[in-house]
Amino acid sequence: MAYPYVSDHEVQIVSKHFGDPQQRRVDTYVERGGYQALKKAFDMGPEQVIDMVKSSGLRGRGGAGFPTGVKWSFMPKESGKPHYLLCNADESEPGTFKDRELIRWDPHQLIEGCLIGAYAIGAQHVYIYCRGEFFEVNQILARAVEDAYAKGYIGKDIMGSGNDLELTVHQGAGAYICGEETGLMNSLEGRRGQPRVKPPFPAAVGAFGMPSTINNVETLCAVTHIVDNGGEWYRQYGTEKSPGTKLFCVSGHVNKPGNYELPLGFPLSQMIEEVCGGMRDGNALKAVIPGGSSVPIINAEEVARCNLDYEGCVEVGTMLGCASVIVMDETTDIVKAVRRMVDFYAHESCGQCTPCREGSAWTAKILRRIEDGRGTEEDLDTLMQMTQQMVGTTICVLSDSVAAPVQSSIEKFRDEYLALIRRGERVGAA
Amino acid sequence: MADMVTLTIDGHEVSVPKGTTILEAAKTVGTEVPHYCYHPGMSSPAMCRLCLVEVEGAPKPMPGCVTTVMEGQVVNTQSDQAKSNRQGVLEFYLVNHPLDCPICDMSGECNLQDYVHAEGREQGRGREPKRVFGRDDFGGDVLFYGDRCVMCTRCVRFMSEVEQDHRLTVVERGNRSVIDTFFDEGLDGTDWHENIVDICPVGALVSKDFLHKARAWDLTHTPSICTSCSQGCNIDLHTRDNLVQRIKPRENLDVNGWWICDHGRHNYEWMNRGDRIEAPLARDGSSSRAVGWKDALRGLLDRAASLDAASVKAVASPQSSNEDLAGLKALVDALGGGDIVYRSARAEDEVPLKGFPGLARRHDLAANTTGANLLGMARVGADDASGGLEGVADHGGIVIVLGDGLDDQPESFGGKAGLYIYLGTHESAATTAADYVLPVGTHAESEGTFTNREGRVQRFEPALEPPGMARPAWLILGALAGEQSGGSVARSAGEAFASLAGSNPAFSGISYDDVGSRGAVINESVSLTGD
Amino acid sequence: MSDIPFKNPGWAGNTGEFDLTEEQVRGDDFVGDRPKHGGHASGAGTLPYMLADKHPEAALFEGEYQERFEKILTRYPTKQAALLPALGLAQEIRGHVSPESMDRVAELLDLSPAYVRGVTTFYTMYNKRPVGDHLVQVCTNISCNLAGADEVVDAFLRYTDTELGETSEDGKFTVIEAECLAACGFPTCVQINSRYFENVTPDQVPQICEHLKSQGGE
Repeated sequence: MAYPYVSDHEVQIVSKHFGDPQQRRVDTYVERGGYQALKKAFDMGPEQVIDMVKSSGLRGRGGAGFPTGVKWSFMPKESGKPHYLLCNADESEPGTFKDRELIRWDPHQLIEGCLIGAYAIGAQHVYIYCRGEFFEVNQILARAVEDAYAKGYIGKDIMGSGNDLELTVHQGAGAYICGEETGLMNSLEGRRGQPRVKPPFPAAVGAFGMPSTINNVETLCAVTHIVDNGGEWYRQYGTEKSPGTKLFCVSGHVNKPGNYELPLGFPLSQMIEEVCGGMRDGNALKAVIPGGSSVPIINAEEVARCNLDYEGCVEVGTMLGCASVIVMDETTDIVKAVRRMVDFYAHESCGQCTPCREGSAWTAKILRRIEDGRGTEEDLDTLMQMTQQMVGTTICVLSDSVAAPVQSSIEKFRDEYLALIRRGERVGAA
Repeated sequence: MADMVTLTIDGHEVSVPKGTTILEAAKTVGTEVPHYCYHPGMSSPAMCRLCLVEVEGAPKPMPGCVTTVMEGQVVNTQSDQAKSNRQGVLEFYLVNHPLDCPICDMSGECNLQDYVHAEGREQGRGREPKRVFGRDDFGGDVLFYGDRCVMCTRCVRFMSEVEQDHRLTVVERGNRSVIDTFFDEGLDGTDWHENIVDICPVGALVSKDFLHKARAWDLTHTPSICTSCSQGCNIDLHTRDNLVQRIKPRENLDVNGWWICDHGRHNYEWMNRGDRIEAPLARDGSSSRAVGWKDALRGLLDRAASLDAASVKAVASPQSSNEDLAGLKALVDALGGGDIVYRSARAEDEVPLKGFPGLARRHDLAANTTGANLLGMARVGADDASGGLEGVADHGGIVIVLGDGLDDQPESFGGKAGLYIYLGTHESAATTAADYVLPVGTHAESEGTFTNREGRVQRFEPALEPPGMARPAWLILGALAGEQSGGSVARSAGEAFASLAGSNPAFSGISYDDVGSRGAVINESVSLTGD
Repeated sequence: MSDIPFKNPGWAGNTGEFDLTEEQVRGDDFVGDRPKHGGHASGAGTLPYMLADKHPEAALFEGEYQERFEKILTRYPTKQAALLPALGLAQEIRGHVSPESMDRVAELLDLSPAYVRGVTTFYTMYNKRPVGDHLVQVCTNISCNLAGADEVVDAFLRYTDTELGETSEDGKFTVIEAECLAACGFPTCVQINSRYFENVTPDQVPQICEHLKSQGGE
């Protein structure tokens, strides 16, 4: 049995055991070589672990793509304070469904990565902030952590190394913004999950006011394998600037949606055609959002020349984000799709910053009016100008995420907006 | 200096202490960067995004309220980027703002009005139906108009950080965020909560007491000092039609910061009292008649002169100014000397404002107890300012009462006195026997100083016209004392203070100008009268 | 368990399998029912919140729940950090977070009730009022929307004869729209209480509801 769909193009590193329920068991995991990377890390020492992760070129898989090893090196060495490693498992970017799969199929891989990361940055306690809606995932993870404690992979004097590490699974409660690192910290501390003003940065003042580092689930899972096999090994995949593999969450109008682990730099059109089994019903491709709903939409022409790595996406005017590829075919009503994404941001805005609080809801209202056939051409100018006021003017980037789909869709699919405004013509209307 | 940072703001080079924020640094060159969430007395969440300024070299506009200055930094608060950001943010505010300025108490002193007038778009682009929250009674003196709120959260932070009673919170999130209390809990029982009305930059939080009472632009603001306790909080009296309409705190970081307590804020109706003595009254047998000041003072001194070596007993009020008290003392001395006592109310507990050390509603519920003590007056009576006047009531010599309403005293008070002079604002049973009843102004009608519990001399100015022929007590007492002793007579409150400073070592070296609007601390350490 | 046919081997499994037990769908007995006392302290804050014995008037944090609450407290350097798990626990016991629950949690954690209300209302997973036995949350975000999630919502509303957010007359169902549930590859995703139903199509909705009813209150 194979995980829903697999492809020959895949390089399965973190997703190797997707679909195999046995992998959750600590005994199976250890039989298959688990927790050896942790032992190796203890033997290497923290500095060497950071160097190795640096040399692998691993970049944060949560969306921003910041080099993980560099991030770890920001942590103060001798602060005398408790340090924390936070694992961001609050996966909620529309289009993204990789962390849930990583945890529920291979929880120990994540736990091991967390422990290695914590050891490298001198943290004594790891919090895995797992999205609240993931009851199943939370329970699998809680059970796996319990097992790892029982076997001595977490706790006091791990594997006789003299290292003590604690790990807590923390369940979120339903807020997209808690996936933002400082929002997550506030939420972990029992506050409203509103992002904090930076500086101070988390490495100086993070969770509970202490130096903290926050990493995505996929990042930490990759760390396990990098420490196991070395930085150079990881670099054999992907591109020079974007090394390694990445889980691509493909959803929308393809024949075989799902998670695919591909080397970075993989051509987008090849992924749609060869990996995902082509477009649904043989329809023509209209647009793709390559990195989750927060990045600009690209049209078919841009899709054809887009390579899936951090730089390749920037070249066609979008971003890789967390590599959540949402594919839309010719039947897609772009106005409705954009409106639905903006509705989401309006719902999830934490409400601190004025441009985001007021702007996201206002944008949603205007789009709704256009969708209902009561729009004007001036509305498009208002949207373009007003969403520009939401870019770079707020504490976090949620409001930038409102602007991305709105601006890119009006630029690239203006005709579709105009057809609706002028003639009431709607794409995909039955 | 090592701890100074030099930067350029809007083309002006300025040096400010390290750690200063751009917003505060800009104030030194006269630029007030618009802002809502920032308040110098609380933490800065940097969430209104109105104070974003352009910092050369920075990739994004920076919030002036939390970005600290750096050496050589070039800041533009008036660049196109900064202005267009402000215009954008202001438009966002107006998307859901009800624009009900004609019925809003804040109108005329509203930051949203001011900012939009100065920098907003000429035409709004909002076409969508507005969000409606409606009105909520927060208990205490506060009404909340949710639709006007700009979500700056100053009120939430005041309650959690300054009053340290976390009664307010932001409920919900995003566009549905609204300020609220814990369901019906409200703000009742907290003692400083009305400051949230002052710090609300718009008309979202309004005072029930002031609701629809006056328009902001019709009010005259007069600097004054709160008389509700010995803290000496700096306040402004807001008046219209010769009535105090409300009291607002006046910033003074040495005394009360930006805050005053709810008790003091509401203790103003007595200043508007209508049943005042309007002319000097001279007793003639069993009835009294109004006389002119000249006749009153002349008659009074003649009467005093007719009494042979009569001893003087006087009752003062700790709510009288230093100048009034000094005038009383001078008169008593000129008449041959005698004891001066005062009565003052004292509360059982202090009510501190936890987040602003040094500020509390004090035990001592009078403004100038320290001044009275420094002038050698002695406190008598109970903690509710009653009793203690047995020796005075039946005194056979000269009795002088200044300011004390004598509300607890019988009709026979002063009946045995050779001469009973009452200086006050209104008559009571105990003034029946007075030979002369002289109308004086309240502190709201006069100029002068109080000395607070820590020995800080602070000035207040007249906000109201005194009724009829009422005059400041220092003027009346000074004239009497001068006439009696042949000394000089003070013609202004400043001269009266100078005379006090010349005669009392505690006040020496302080000039009326020194006191200014911030106050000046006297020379000797003050006995804190049991505080 | 490889003899179970599926499109997506999730916990909830393919909707064609919803009459299977959870163990059958999961493919093993790995998780099972977690103990009410929370098991090891590291995961004590992570149980599903809709249990069969939820009751709006039930006592908070007593017996095994007390034990679990105390375990949660040991996992954070501050008491306040236990707020989210504690509210989750209150909801698990009572089915929603009532003002009384907020007040009690505030008292236990030395927080002000208003503060707790502010936090509670920030998060969508705390039900601020009672909901039906089955809280049906249909993801209508972009990926599911492209696959026709709106029709799935309509199907649920039609079956339960309710408006969004309303509880059906028999008290069984409350249908709401949810934001992305992170199952975008298996649209439409519907979360019903703790369980995900994936690849849901409108025509399967009556069948799912009948099945849930036959199980009684979960």
